[in-house]
Amino acid sequence: MTLVSIEICMGSACYLLGAQDLLEAIESLAPEKKAKIDLRGATCLKACGNGPNIKVDGVLLSNVTPKELLEIIHDKING
Amino acid sequence: MSQVTEVVKLRRKVLAEIARMTFAGELINNVEEILNTVVTEDGPRYRCCIHKERAVLQSRIKLALSQPASITLKSAAQNAYEGQAADMPMIHVMSEACDQCPIDKFIVTNACRNCLAHHCINSCPKKAIMVVQNRAYIDKNKCVECGLCKKSCPYSAIIEVNRPCESACDIKAITAGSDRRALINYEKCVQCGGCKTACPFGAITDRSVIVQLIQALKADKKVYAIVAPAFVGQFGAKVQPNQVISALKKLGFYDVYEASYGADIVTVEETREYIESVPEKRSFMTTSCCPAFVDMIDKHLPEMTSAISSTVSPMIATGKVIKELDSDIVTVFIGPCIAKKAEAAKYSGVIDLVLTFEELACIMVGAGINIAAVEETEYKTHASSTGNNFARAGGVVQAVIKHAEKLDGNVVIKPHRAEGLSNCKVSLLQLKAGKIDANFFEGMACAGGCVGGPGVLINSKVTGKLIENYAATSECKTASENKDAMDILNKGGHWHVK
Repeated sequence: MTLVSIEICMGSACYLLGAQDLLEAIESLAPEKKAKIDLRGATCLKACGNGPNIKVDGVLLSNVTPKELLEIIHDKING
Repeated sequence: MSQVTEVVKLRRKVLAEIARMTFAGELINNVEEILNTVVTEDGPRYRCCIHKERAVLQSRIKLALSQPASITLKSAAQNAYEGQAADMPMIHVMSEACDQCPIDKFIVTNACRNCLAHHCINSCPKKAIMVVQNRAYIDKNKCVECGLCKKSCPYSAIIEVNRPCESACDIKAITAGSDRRALINYEKCVQCGGCKTACPFGAITDRSVIVQLIQALKADKKVYAIVAPAFVGQFGAKVQPNQVISALKKLGFYDVYEASYGADIVTVEETREYIESVPEKRSFMTTSCCPAFVDMIDKHLPEMTSAISSTVSPMIATGKVIKELDSDIVTVFIGPCIAKKAEAAKYSGVIDLVLTFEELACIMVGAGINIAAVEETEYKTHASSTGNNFARAGGVVQAVIKHAEKLDGNVVIKPHRAEGLSNCKVSLLQLKAGKIDANFFEGMACAGGCVGGPGVLINSKVTGKLIENYAATSECKTASENKDAMDILNKGGHWHVK
């Protein structure tokens, strides 16, 4: 099974708007779910001001909340 | 739990936008634009309508510029641009934003079974409770909010509702005014910022000098930054301290000092003061680094002011060291604290501007500097391990004890400490009454110490550990090993409050 690729921008602008909360949301997932995610940090996804920004399987998503992120992960994993 | 709520995001967006405009030199002409860019026609909407949203935003912008509510946005921007900051308290309630939360403190819920025992009615000393429509009813005209009914109900059907700002304020300095809006009593307030963090409507905020700082940076002056020891990890757990120092220089600071350097001076002075005065002149001594704690004693326990150490805080000590270097310079303290803003105002001429970590991060974003992408360099802390640990609760006590041990093995310090103003107050009263066997007391207004302050960007559990690691990298372990700081101390100078 291919992993779900998630990049979280940890640049200052995204950090200020809650990127850390997104990271913590993923960290708090159950180990079997976490094992299906390829998590990476990014320095800038070039969409500052509209953060926090993430890329899920290469697709840029802006202004993401922890709740939305968990829903996206749930949908991706359950196909 | 998510820390960056919509309230926090809104505040940061406004500060970052003001910073961006100031760097671009367009603040005076475009300040009103913020009303349209931060609050847009298509939402998101937090309050009843766009007009209220913008009214709140107006107040928010004026406070971000440190200007009174009575002037126009444009003149507020003009004044801030010229470096002026109004002489007013640091913490303010934005009355438009306050939700006038209900103050009916005790409410009977659906869980009421209209039982036979009626403990609530029987327990009420004011006969304020009756049964209406098969349920207990509290007559608000008679109720004195004693809470006995709540305690007496076996179903826990009576609940206590508190305003978040009031519950957060340990020293009862914020109450509901006659129109139910929050009102700060500045005679009692120590500007700790607890209410700001607590208000879910974002109606309480501190005034900021971000524009005044940017203007100083732009005006070819030598601007020195003094970063509080809690800076480690604030800008992202992966961001290294050396990147923060480089980012500050990139922003235009002439040089950067760590307040932990001043903490080493404070440790030595405070230990000396302790040995000289306890127990002969006073039965116990308290620390003096936390300005909200010191202010709490001044305002709420005036009979105990003689117990406070007269040694200045690490911020002031570091400021004094820098001001000795050159006269025409600007000193800027950057920390987790709002009360430091008020402390700096007391010592005019030592610290010129005070910012929180949050405000600094907004300035970085406004300047287009991404701290996470700043190249790493070699950097070593200029302070001792114990000085760096001042950021964590218990750090000051530890520093003083370790230094005292080095000085004289016979000195016995019996420490006690507390976090949170209410806990500090209780401990102090117990100390005075002799119920606690201690003679050195560390008081911190914020839970966890400075790392738990209202101006931080990250959970104190994360930073606490990072600071411990950073402190361990220090070449000198205790204050007296910091040769640089000791040389300055030996030269003399004033390290005490007059």
